[in-house]
Amino acid sequence: MFWTVTLSLLKGFGAATELFFLTLLLGLPLGLVVAFGSMSKFQPFRRWILYRKKAPGKFLQALAQLRPISALTNIIVWIIRGTPLMLQIIIIFYGPGLWFDNNIWAFGNGRMAACTLAFVINYACYFSVIYRGGIEGVPVGQREAGEVLGMTKRQIFFKVTLLQMVKRVVPPLSNEIITLVKDTSLARIIAITELIKAGEAYMKSNGITWPLFYTAVFYLIFVGILTLLFNFVERKLSYFR
Amino acid sequence: MAILEVQNIEKHFGSTKVLTDISFSLEEGQALSIIGSSGSGKTTLLRCLNFLEKPDKGRICVRGKVLFDAGDPSTQLEGEIRKKRLHFGLVFQSFNLFPQYTALQNITLARELQARERGETKAQIEAAGRELLSQMGLSDRADHYPHQLSGGQQQRVAIARALALQPDILCFDEPTSALDPELTGEVLRVIRNLAEKKTTMIIVTHEMAFARDVADQVIFMDEGIIVEQGDPHKVIDHPKEDRTRQFLSRYTERN
Ligand SMILES: Nc1ncnc2c1ncn2[C@@H]1O[C@H](COP(=O)(O)OP(=O)(O)OP(=O)(O)O)[C@@H](O)[C@H]1O
Ligand SMILES: [Mg+2]
Repeated sequence: MFWTVTLSLLKGFGAATELFFLTLLLGLPLGLVVAFGSMSKFQPFRRWILYRKKAPGKFLQALAQLRPISALTNIIVWIIRGTPLMLQIIIIFYGPGLWFDNNIWAFGNGRMAACTLAFVINYACYFSVIYRGGIEGVPVGQREAGEVLGMTKRQIFFKVTLLQMVKRVVPPLSNEIITLVKDTSLARIIAITELIKAGEAYMKSNGITWPLFYTAVFYLIFVGILTLLFNFVERKLSYFR
Repeated sequence: MAILEVQNIEKHFGSTKVLTDISFSLEEGQALSIIGSSGSGKTTLLRCLNFLEKPDKGRICVRGKVLFDAGDPSTQLEGEIRKKRLHFGLVFQSFNLFPQYTALQNITLARELQARERGETKAQIEAAGRELLSQMGLSDRADHYPHQLSGGQQQRVAIARALALQPDILCFDEPTSALDPELTGEVLRVIRNLAEKKTTMIIVTHEMAFARDVADQVIFMDEGIIVEQGDPHKVIDHPKEDRTRQFLSRYTERN
């Protein structure tokens, strides 16, 4: 019995790790894009309004200050971080079929694809906030010191600020990634047999509860390995402040 | 001919005017001290010289060549600013050393990145870096990271870092203001040495005695204008203007 349970839990664990790694693979770079979007200083109306002959009124002045890319990105991030991931999974999976009469997820791995999409969007928003903190946390004096020394923008980014950003970003990012491990259990809401669902199945069919608790071992080992990995990276970066 | 000529610089931030009609010149090998109360525009002036801010009016000439002219866009091309900056060095109040590099690496980094255009080898640059460190009295700190150094040591590394690129004019923005009083001496000593070696310098400072002793010329600024300028002993010991007198008396009271 132990081995059959272990095997089926391993299968659930496989689904969970697939979701985990796909979310990281796609969410980490997408988060960077979102971070740049939220920091965008693009003010398309500024030129046009401030350089007209007539003095702009209050509304036009406000419009001149508007940063549409940044504003839009911040609204999206607010919505995604302000609502439960579970709700987002449900909307993304059932939404197309319910509202557009077009279940785009009706293919082999459709459930997993829908779930991955929800996770990627959700986690990219969280990552973006972390990246942004890391980027803005590097004092402007660092960039200016590089500029005064005649370094190019590229050189300043790669030789001066990048490593300082990475150092700032690793601790909060590792927290978020550990949360992601456990959030994979939300996939069961659209009937993906991840770890918890796999364990719970034995409660329903065989009336035994230990497989459910056994799932904790998988999470603990996985999180344990990640913790060691992040500690290693943090130690590697601890030679400077 | 003056090495630096600053003509009628004016700078606004939004609607506030921070610098008004700033003009002065500096001879090669001379030191200029700028004094003035907080908010008088001293930092902004140094930042304009180092192209960290763009003046709204005026011209900056080095060795007779126009580096910047607010009225002439062809002097403001992005691509050329980087090269023009190299005429100036800037030592920041808060050091701004690169934390992930050792003292020696801080000094050599920029010069190594420019090794090809300068036609230098890595070994030459490192030797020059070590030479600068020993000049700063920091030979034994070459492999220390900034956080392992005291404030005074960090500022001396920052001075060496600026010197490494052999600027025509080295600017200091209150180099000792962020230091504990017992550490200011070692930094001032280093700057004094540079003055003796005829390094062309502009030093913004609140150390009046130091400004008087080291500088060949002093400028007193208030609310963005040059109120008084000239021989340091005249300006600091026998100021002509009321505003200078008021400022200096506040200083002697405080110290
Ligand atoms: N980036 C900026 N945006 C808006 N105002 C600024 C900016 N930088 C400086 N100022 C203003 O310009 C004025 C001059 O500032 P500056 O830093 O040049 O003074 P300072 O003489 O160096 O003062 P301190 O002795 O305190 O360093 C101040 O009123 C300051 O508030
Ligand atoms: Mg200042």
